[in-house]
Order: sequence, then C-alpha cells, then structure tokens
Amino acid sequence: MKQTGLITAATLAAGALTLGLGGGAALAGPDTNILNIGMASSDAGRLDPHLSATTVDKAVFGWMFSGLVRFAPGSSSPESIEPDLAESWSASDDGLEWTFNLRQGVQCHHGYGELTSADIVYSLERAADPDRSSFSSDFEAFETIEAVDDYTVRIILSHPVPSLLGLVTNYQGGNIVCAAAAEEMGEDFQNQPVGTGPFMFEEYRPQQSLSLVANPDYFRGAPILDGILYRYIPSDSARDLAFQSGEIDLIYGRQDQTWVERIRELPDVTVHVMEPAEMSVMHLNTSTPPLDDIRVRQAMAHAVDREEFMDFKGRDTARMSQSIVPQGYLGFADMSELMPAFDLDRARELLTEAGHPDGITVSVIHTALPGMLSTMEVFQAQMARAGINIDLEVVEHATFHAQIREDLSQVVHYSAARFPVADIYLTQFYHSRSIVNTPTGVTNFSHCADADAEIDAARVETDPDLQREQWETAQRLLMENFCSLPIYENLQIWARHNYLDLGYELTGSLTLGPAVTEQTQFVSN
Amino acid sequence: MLAYVARRLFFALPTLLAVMTLVFVLVRIVPGDPAQTILGDQASQEAIMALRERLGLNRPLWEQYVDFLQSAITGDWGASMVTGQPVLGEIANVLPYTIDLTVASLILGAVVGIPLGVWSALHRNRLIDYVTRIGSLLGLSFPAFVSAILLLLIFSIYLNWFPVISAGDRSDPLERLENLALPAINLGLIMAAYITRVTRSSMLNVLGEDYIRTAQAKGLPHRSIIWIHALRNALIPVVTVVGLYLGILIGNSVLTEIVFNRPGLGKLIVGALGQRDYTMLQGLMVIYTFIIIIVNLLTDLTYGLIDPRVKYS
Repeated sequence: MKQTGLITAATLAAGALTLGLGGGAALAGPDTNILNIGMASSDAGRLDPHLSATTVDKAVFGWMFSGLVRFAPGSSSPESIEPDLAESWSASDDGLEWTFNLRQGVQCHHGYGELTSADIVYSLERAADPDRSSFSSDFEAFETIEAVDDYTVRIILSHPVPSLLGLVTNYQGGNIVCAAAAEEMGEDFQNQPVGTGPFMFEEYRPQQSLSLVANPDYFRGAPILDGILYRYIPSDSARDLAFQSGEIDLIYGRQDQTWVERIRELPDVTVHVMEPAEMSVMHLNTSTPPLDDIRVRQAMAHAVDREEFMDFKGRDTARMSQSIVPQGYLGFADMSELMPAFDLDRARELLTEAGHPDGITVSVIHTALPGMLSTMEVFQAQMARAGINIDLEVVEHATFHAQIREDLSQVVHYSAARFPVADIYLTQFYHSRSIVNTPTGVTNFSHCADADAEIDAARVETDPDLQREQWETAQRLLMENFCSLPIYENLQIWARHNYLDLGYELTGSLTLGPAVTEQTQFVSN
Repeated sequence: MLAYVARRLFFALPTLLAVMTLVFVLVRIVPGDPAQTILGDQASQEAIMALRERLGLNRPLWEQYVDFLQSAITGDWGASMVTGQPVLGEIANVLPYTIDLTVASLILGAVVGIPLGVWSALHRNRLIDYVTRIGSLLGLSFPAFVSAILLLLIFSIYLNWFPVISAGDRSDPLERLENLALPAINLGLIMAAYITRVTRSSMLNVLGEDYIRTAQAKGLPHRSIIWIHALRNALIPVVTVVGLYLGILIGNSVLTEIVFNRPGLGKLIVGALGQRDYTMLQGLMVIYTFIIIIVNLLTDLTYGLIDPRVKYS
C-alpha cells in the first residue's frame, strides 16, 4: 500500500506538471486504424464473461459478445433495451413464459459456425451454473431454457421476473458464448473467448494489453475500425501522458473534478461524464452499540454536511444522493425530504438524548484506496464536529473487503454501481438474506431487514405501478430507520480525442466503458 | 570452482524450502480471499465458499502444503488463481523484460558510476568532488517515480523521442531499445549514484594504502597506478554493493515498471499480492529467491576474477 500511496503522489505531481506545462497542439489522429484505449488496471481478470465481474473486463465483454437484447449504444437506461441476437420476443400474460426469435445468419468468431438457439440454451445454462458462472443467482427463476427450433428459444420461469430482459442483455450472465468453442476449450475458453460481437479476441499480453480484431462477419456489418488495443495502465500519470501524447485515443478517467478540468484544457478533447453512477454510502451497523440506537444514527445523519462533500468531490463528476437507490435506476424514488438537514446542534442533542452527552467512538475499517479514503477522511472530520469520534483503521484494499464481510467495521463506506433496477441495490444492500457473515450474505453491512417483504413483493410484481410503489415503500422504510447515509453519486468519467467518433451519443454504459461499435471510427480534425 | 558452485547450489536448497514454506504460510495468514477477488463484490458468501472449495482452499492447510511441495518439485506451478493463466508462463512472459531492465541499468550504472567515483576520489575535497557527491546524493534521494515522470515529460511529451508506454514487441531490436531507454536511464542513474559513492569511498581507502605509495615511489605511470593497482582492489566492495542492489532492483523496480507501463516481476508481485493470488505469489517468490541465490553466487565468483588471492574451496 505504500507503493500505491507513492503512485498516487506521483499521479498528483504528474497531473500538476503535465497540465501545468500546457497541452500542446491538437493531435491529427492515429497512424493506424486500431483504437487504443487506456484502462486503469495492472492486468486483466478472467476473460470469461460468465466468470469475471471486474470493471476492467466488463467493457471488453461488451465489445466481444452479444446478448439476446442490448442496451442501445451510449445508454444504460433499461428503457433503451433493443433487439440484439433476438429480432423479437414475447411474454405470456402471467410473465412465466418468454419466447425469443433469433436473427438468422449470425456467425461465431473464429469460424465456429452459425449461432443458433442451441448456443443460447447452452450459454444461459452455463450462466446459471454456479460451477461455471459468478452470476448464477441472477438466473434462479429460470426453470427451463429450451430450443424450440434453430431460431426460437423459450424460457420458462418459476416466478415472474419483471426485469427479465435485463438478464439477457450483453452484460454479465447475459453475454452469449458460442457453445462449440466453450465445449471444445473447457477452462481454456477464458484464454480465447469466442462470441458474436463486433470485435474478436486476438491476443492477450499479461500486464500489457488485450488485442481485439474487427469481426468481418458481424451481423450489423463489419466494423470500420480494424481493431482495438486495450492497454492496462495502472499509473494515472502514465495514462494521462499517453493520452496527451496521442498513444491513447480513449482513456478511463479519474472520478475527480480536478482531473476533468485538467483534461478539458487539452485541445480537441471531449470528456464524457456518464451513467451509471456509483453511489457512495456510509452503511451503519445497526446490530452493535451505540449504532443500535436510532437516535445515534440520526445524529450521524445530521452531522453529515453533504454540500461540503459536493464541494469536495466536484459538481461535474458527482451529484448529491436523493435516496438509498441511485438516481436513474428503475424504481428510484426521490427521498430528499427524508435526508436530515445538516444541523450540528440537533446532532449533539440526539446524542445527549441517547445517553452520550460526551460523544461516542465508532470503530471503522477502511481501504487505503485514495479516492475512497479521502471521502472517509472528510466524513471523519464532519463527525468530529458533532462529538462523534471515528476510530479509523486503514488497511489494504483486499483486507478491507475481507474484514467488512466479516462484520468487523461499525461503519462501512461502500461505493458501487449495479444493474440499474432498484431490486438489485435493495436486495444486495438491505435484504436480510444479504447480511454479511451469513451463508447467503452479500453486502448488507447495516443488518437492516425492515423492507424484506416489500423488496420480495416488488421482485415478482408484474404491474409496473404497483412495483414502483413497493420499491418506494422499501426505500422509505429503510431511510426512516437510518440504515445508511447516502452521500453522493459518482459518475463514470472517460475522455477521447475528437478525432475519434464513437458513432453515437454517449450518456451511459452499463459495462462502465463506452461501447465500441461497428460505426466507431477515426475522423480527421 | 565447479565443486564450489555445486556445493553452494546444494546448500541453497534448504533456503528455497524455507522460503517456500514461509511464503505458503504468510500468504494465507494475510486477510483477503482470492475467491472474493475472482468473483467480485456482488458475489454471495455461498458463491465464494463454493469457489474456495473448487480452488481447494477449504482443505486442511497441511494437505495444501504437501500438494504445493509435490507440484513444485515436479515443476508444476499450477495456474494463477485470478487469471487462470499458467504461473510459469506468466513469469516467463515478464522475466525477459525484468532481465533487460536490470542488465541495462546495471551497465549504465557501472559505466557512469565507476569513472565518476574514481574521478571524485582523485579530486577529493575539490569542486569536482563536491559536485559529484551532491549529484550522487540527489540520485539516491530522488524518488524513482518522480524522476520517471520527469523523464516522460521531457523525452516523450516535449521532445517526442520515446513512447510513454514502454511495453511492446521485444523481438524487434529497435523497438526493444526504444522501450528500454527511459526505464533503464531512470533506474541506471539511481544505480550510478550508489556505485559512485561506494567507488569513491573504496578508492579513497585504497589510495592511502602502502602499496600505492610504493608503486608511486617506483615511478609507475599514474594511470597504471589508478586503473590497475588501485581500482582493481577498490572494486570488491563495489561488486558487493552491486550484487546486493541487483537483488533489490529485481523486486523493487515496480515503481518504474508501473510509471513506464512496462511488464516485469515487480509489477507481477504487487498485482498478485493485491489480488491474493496464492499460486502466483508462491511461484514468484521461489523464482525471486532463486534469482537472489544466483546473483549472490555470481557476486562471490566475481571476487575471484577481480582478486586472484580469493580462493574457492
């Protein structure tokens, strides 16, 4: 972690130096027709779309794989879902039977033949298999998946899943792998993934890059670009310099106002601030004293100065939270009226009422990752003003993840984006099934279980209005109990040189990286 | 000498075994879970436990240890728990980059550091000596990542002589040299600073010896006294320092590797540690220990080349 700190220091120094010394002239464009992308990571994870859930791999899967349906390029809104491998689909009135009619003539990469309904069945069954997939629990309602004929797939559900289309987009378990390739390669599939997307796997160089080549048989037409070189560049400063020198055309940015302002100063560069937002939340462990007293949690809520947080994070890259579910998610309800106003006197009063006139001490374990740590340090300073001492233990990131799941921290600062449906956020963070340190635990750090009934009911509710009401009630109940303190929402940041035309308007991307489509191309300045 | 080398290698075996055992235990004591890393933060406890089972992490520790030793002896280092790539393959991929960088910075450090150290010693307490000493002190105290960024700004952004990203194709000699230049300069200058200081100090000691005065009294040419009689004897501590520093350099070049975005062992170790990639860490540590053993052995053998009085028995 010392080295991480040093790299951060280097980044800050380089940032100041790099852009302080001026941006130089606009770049004419690349010499080749290969798109160079700089990603903030030292290496890839597992290049199997059903296994890896890491940010660094998600974007790549979006370029290599298709789903039955997809989010329109540039959007992460469920309302933009459109046909992909399926040309059309229908659902029975009770929502238990879904039929997808496939596009004909879709070719798998590297000569693995035409994609048929057998591939869809194989792929969805693979995604639902806990031995081969990290996302198997998403498919628990899938009773049977059958190939009616070569171009028709039927899915029978055990209970209605209103957001079913979201599960069959080209995202996580919905990415369709080609059965022949996956069977032939077995575990080696991750070393040469085969899909049907616009770009095909070419070469992986550990710690360096992943090369993709254009798929000439892509069903929407051959891509204009010849390929993609996805470079793993962990150092922010090196990535920035490579972008400035033109070695990188598209860059993953820091969720940081100063970074956005610095990069915007470069000539002919566009910074994209896009959805989905990662919400920064302080989860309060309601099962341990003194946080088991709602007055203490309420006091903490009054001690949070969210305006100060906004000034600290920057208004271009962050927005204030309005609920425990991020804005823009299906089922989000504006709960701003339930957010306690910043009022230190009231906070101290509540602490006194709760029997803590001299204040309290709360033990917190936190990651040393600079972006997250700075938020916790601001929080610590704000709490101190109200007499709440945050006893902060800073640990390395993997240790942090292990220890918060062992329930060792009284306040857990977590920042996350999820599939943009309220159910996912509510279930993973606030359902009793997800309480950490239990066999079914995920990320319920607060131990709250106030809205289980509403969350479960909304999940299978087929009437959209009723479903929204149930989600709204769940959010209200959980906020009234001060299970967590939503602080701000961090948006995704990318930047590109203007000689790169993405081919669509970029407002969001579920894979957290911009879609690179058959229309993406280099244009002259 | 061959018997000496064989004996040294034989006695290195217990060291290797000790390191393997220590690494095996340490990586498992440190909090963190490779299954969690692989599955990501949305994974349920059930899924994590299922993956731990598949990875064999739920088996008794001694059983895992015996398996590990058996596999290591038969040359099977397994696959990375995180990427699924063979451990030896991943190490073999990055090792040439590390060797390139280490050797290049060693050559640069010696070529710059030894003459500077000698020059400084010969001009003791004069302007040249002060400048060299301050310069070498700066080289030692300047953080590698800051000098790396300055080099990038000057040579890659403004002069546009070298790429910012120093990875690339090693099979093309020109590209290999182009990618190596800035990282090697960055580490080489630090090494030069070390070598300059040790050479200067060692030379000052030797220059005060009786045999040097004897050589001077006999009227031997100044150049011959300095470069043959004095430097040869002064080099023993320099070789010791270089040997020690090489070992450190192989693992500690990580900051240079990260800033120049260059593959290497250091970067691989840090990545594996962050991801709790047990198999990768075990493989890396054994390789790293082996390299240190070889470097130490070569250092000892070099003493004999420099000073014929050194005997290997």
